[in-house]
Amino acid sequence: MKRSSRLGITYAGPMGLWLTIFFLTPLFIIILYSVLKKGLYGGVEWTFSSAAYRQLVNPAFAKVLFRTLTVSVTATAITMALALPCGYAMARSSHQSLFLGLVIVPFWTNSLIRIYAWIAILSSRGFANELLKQLHIIEESLSLIYNQGAVITVLVYMYIPFAILPLFTTIDSFDFQLLEAARDLGASRFTSITRVLLPNIRSGIITSGVFTFIPIFGAYTVPLLVGGKDSYMIGNIIVDQVTKTRNWPLASAISLIITLVSTVGVMWMLMAGAQEKRERAQSLRKAGTR
Amino acid sequence: MNHHRTLISYLLFTALFSFLILVTTGCSKDENNGESSKADNTLYLFNWTYYTPESVIEAFEAEYGVNVVLDYFASNEDMFAKLKGGGSGYDVVFPSQDYAEIMIREKMVIPLDHAKLDNLRYISPLVREKATYDPDMAYAVPYYLGASGIAVMKDSLEEYPRDWSIFSDSRFRNRMSMLDDMREVMGAALAHLGYSVNSLNPDELEAATRLINEQWKPNIVKFDAEGFAKAFSSGEFSVVHGYGEAVFEEIEEERWDEVDFFLPGEGGPMYLDSMMIPVTAKHVDLAHLFINFIHRPEMYAQFLDRFRFPSTVHTEAEQYRTTEPIYSGDALAAYELKMDLGENLSLYDELWQTIRYDD
Repeated sequence: MKRSSRLGITYAGPMGLWLTIFFLTPLFIIILYSVLKKGLYGGVEWTFSSAAYRQLVNPAFAKVLFRTLTVSVTATAITMALALPCGYAMARSSHQSLFLGLVIVPFWTNSLIRIYAWIAILSSRGFANELLKQLHIIEESLSLIYNQGAVITVLVYMYIPFAILPLFTTIDSFDFQLLEAARDLGASRFTSITRVLLPNIRSGIITSGVFTFIPIFGAYTVPLLVGGKDSYMIGNIIVDQVTKTRNWPLASAISLIITLVSTVGVMWMLMAGAQEKRERAQSLRKAGTR
Repeated sequence: MNHHRTLISYLLFTALFSFLILVTTGCSKDENNGESSKADNTLYLFNWTYYTPESVIEAFEAEYGVNVVLDYFASNEDMFAKLKGGGSGYDVVFPSQDYAEIMIREKMVIPLDHAKLDNLRYISPLVREKATYDPDMAYAVPYYLGASGIAVMKDSLEEYPRDWSIFSDSRFRNRMSMLDDMREVMGAALAHLGYSVNSLNPDELEAATRLINEQWKPNIVKFDAEGFAKAFSSGEFSVVHGYGEAVFEEIEEERWDEVDFFLPGEGGPMYLDSMMIPVTAKHVDLAHLFINFIHRPEMYAQFLDRFRFPSTVHTEAEQYRTTEPIYSGDALAAYELKMDLGENLSLYDELWQTIRYDD
């Protein structure tokens, strides 16, 4: 008994240390900085001040928050809609390793370079416009870049691997015989997917949704580089407040919003996972009594 | 099925591990400075990106038998945060006027020994007059005085206003960009209305904001300080507000004739970058040698040639240069240095939010 409790600490120690150093301490510093007075040239003065939170209550800021939410929700929805069939196809394919490799390959290139590649594709004399002109689909160049559409497109591209991977692993562990059974019992192809497949991979769907939404919500470079004059997101405000306007407390208060949103997302993910485990145990028990 | 999970966790682990290696090696870099005997022979410069003439550095290394190590920053704020945060080991830094003033006040730099700097006699008295925070160069030796301007692709239109009102010209709608820089854009609007670029008068600031929001912003595609030169070079934008050296760096020399770069006649905000020695510098003598070296007329001319700058701070270098500058230094007569706003920065920030945050 004694021995096992000591082992517990040994096992949990590294993880606990890791979380304390890289998560709790920085979080504590951010919370602390958000309630201090701003230093004239950056940094903070050690005097209590709620100025940062008063500055948050501001219609201009609410607009950016609303825009960030709209962009994040839209981009996450599109990403999921594309990632689900991808994950399904990969799980059913006999070339899984190849497809996994292909999903991961883009990470070998720096993300900034990939964003600049998108600029080359979307700009008015870029590949997309030239191709459409060659095919005589358009006469004049379309404005494909420096607007919300470009921001969402590039965000979807950047974060789709984060959605595909968890979906793939859950779909891969799904027992496809259940689909056949559903068909045998008279379910249509569509019903068998919505009533049998989707409920069984719910935790994977939630995980990939959270994994996509959180980084998109804090995105900074994509709106900066491919966005237009109306593409400012929360991430951009944080950077500006730290560097240009030297208001670290405000930047801290804003990043706490991102932390809050992420925490809610992760809690939801964990709760959904736990619930699924409970349900599975229940149905197993039921099956056992029969 | 299981080996894919292993593969994914393996990849995640590798990513994390390489990240840790980067972090730890990144930290140890600073500690090495000045430890070995070889480092005593090394001068550490901390300058803006695309602002250091390679040929001058090589000549300096050859003449004194030393090494020069360059590190770069993209904004005064980055540089200041790094020095303030304990970044040491730099021997010469190149801040602009507002941060030069702050760094002198915060005692982050050492007084210069003029006995070792005889080339300071070439620094233009006009520039010293503008540098009100240190006219005697006790701490800061001017490096370059310049301003952002407007670049126009000539084939886009025959006639256009050669001043800030070009941004009100709806013929260029959606083909223009302005810098994503509060002081530069607000300064341009203030100057266009005939006010000081350092104005603290709420009515004047309000008028400038209205000009930007109602007349300029509808015509521009975006506020861009990162990619405007590339977008201009590729034909995406026809009119950009920005730094001439950045624009011409992106365009092949054969096409330079197609570009009209000018400083608007109404004036606007300008900057004066200076060389300073931080209190943490380990090679103070070498730093003095370098500051003096770069102001040798023939060396300073190489700097001007490299970036096609007009000779704004040096009185003698003009005769040694071999290239034409991208704009005339005389245009700066109407320009005003952006000074540090201190507490009043928030006055600008509140108005800038209405420009930048709204649709």
